[in-house]
Amino acid sequence: MTRPLVAIRGVSQHFGTDGARVPALESIDLDIPDGQFAAVVGPSGCGKSTLLSLIAGLRLPSSGAVLCDGEPVTGPMPRKVGMIFQEANLLPWLSAIDNVAFPLKLRHVAKAERLDAARRMLDLTGLRGFEDRLPHQLSGGMKQRVAIARGLVQNPAVLLMDEPFASLDEQTRMVLGDELLRIWSETRKTVLFVTHSLNEAVYLADRVLVLSARPGRLVDDIRVDLPRPRSFAMTSEERFGTLKDRIWQHIKHAERR
Amino acid sequence: MRRRERLIVAAAVLAFVGFWEAMARLGRLDAGVAPAPSTVLTALKALLGRPEVLQSLGVTAWEVVAAFLLAVPVGLFLGFLLAEVPLLSALFRPLVNFLFGVPKSIFLPVFILVFGVSIPQKIAFGVFTTIFVLIVGGTAAVQSVPRELILVSRVYGASRGQIIREIYLPAMAPILLESIRLGMVFNITAVLLCEIYGARDGIGYRIAAWGENVQMPQLYAALVIVALAAVAVNEVLRAVERRLAAWRERS
Repeated sequence: MTRPLVAIRGVSQHFGTDGARVPALESIDLDIPDGQFAAVVGPSGCGKSTLLSLIAGLRLPSSGAVLCDGEPVTGPMPRKVGMIFQEANLLPWLSAIDNVAFPLKLRHVAKAERLDAARRMLDLTGLRGFEDRLPHQLSGGMKQRVAIARGLVQNPAVLLMDEPFASLDEQTRMVLGDELLRIWSETRKTVLFVTHSLNEAVYLADRVLVLSARPGRLVDDIRVDLPRPRSFAMTSEERFGTLKDRIWQHIKHAERR
Repeated sequence: MRRRERLIVAAAVLAFVGFWEAMARLGRLDAGVAPAPSTVLTALKALLGRPEVLQSLGVTAWEVVAAFLLAVPVGLFLGFLLAEVPLLSALFRPLVNFLFGVPKSIFLPVFILVFGVSIPQKIAFGVFTTIFVLIVGGTAAVQSVPRELILVSRVYGASRGQIIREIYLPAMAPILLESIRLGMVFNITAVLLCEIYGARDGIGYRIAAWGENVQMPQLYAALVIVALAAVAVNEVLRAVERRLAAWRERS
């Protein structure tokens, strides 16, 4: 295996002050190899999103360390990490192409160059012809495609996705899932994908990480040995069901506590 | 379609003025209350040729502009402070909300007491009336900035300055411009009220005098001038608003 692109070493995270300390994550140790598609699942409030924000450098862990591409994470690393949220969070006053180019603008990349890069990303995410639309003129699925293009525009090593399809309808979600796999196979990013959907986790990922209820601990690390490319037919195969069931046992257990 | 709508509006206005003119000429309207539009137009031309009237317009314009230039930056700055500093917000928010709802005209005698019947008094009262709109608007503008967009920019490495330039300013622009426009409406009203209540010059002072002497054509002519000026200012600000806020979903 290649060296770990994301390494999480003994990370704990709690919120609040000593008086009312709420633990969110406890002693997480984790290596994500370069190019892996890892899904993170767990019961509500288990700290899945917290884990992503630690890797994104949006907050620092209470103890332990996060390494990204061999470098300790001490703050946002825009050139190494792209992030996609549940909502597309596009700047409503910018056109699709300007939204995609926005991270490059923050880095003072020349206009022609950044629009060029943004146009390539919109092509990759299937939005050719929609460059000049404003966000409110795009559907929910298209907005999320713009957000993915924005996440990829700096060619980061890691793509963090925090329930990116959770606000979309089921059909759009399935189409975008396949699109994401195509983009991933073309770009071979390391993906960390937080989701509530067991189907989505097993269908998309190489590996499913299961966190326990608060405080989140890593309770299972499942290799998804389904062949690629994935297809819709696989979702009704026995192996798919077995993997899903194994995850469900953990979640069920946690939600009952 | 838009062009057709405009034509309809123009036709309606012309019809109304024409009807008024006809009624006045037929003697169906009391010339002491509603003189014919043609008479008002003649008076308007005469007024615009009189240096002392132009001077009065100049005085009013100066008061309005000065009050506006003071109230806008100070009001918005105070609004931003209230939005960003929790302690100030806890202390002053109730007071601002209270004063925002109180009719400012009841304070006019106090302003005369403090400043005398003077131009500074008009400006101060204009500022006093306008500033609350801008404080409340400034606070609302800051609070309208979506937190998620700030988070996204942080992920992509935005500095504090970039967050202000790239997120805060454009996100706040629509509410800021709207408060500025509303503030201007309040400002013009306040300055004219001051002048009508007691002044030595200014178009409001002239309007009060013509009203007392029942010089109706002059009074109406002055109303036309003030109305046109106010509408022009409002439309200019609205055009700016439309340009900068085109990204907002049309409802």
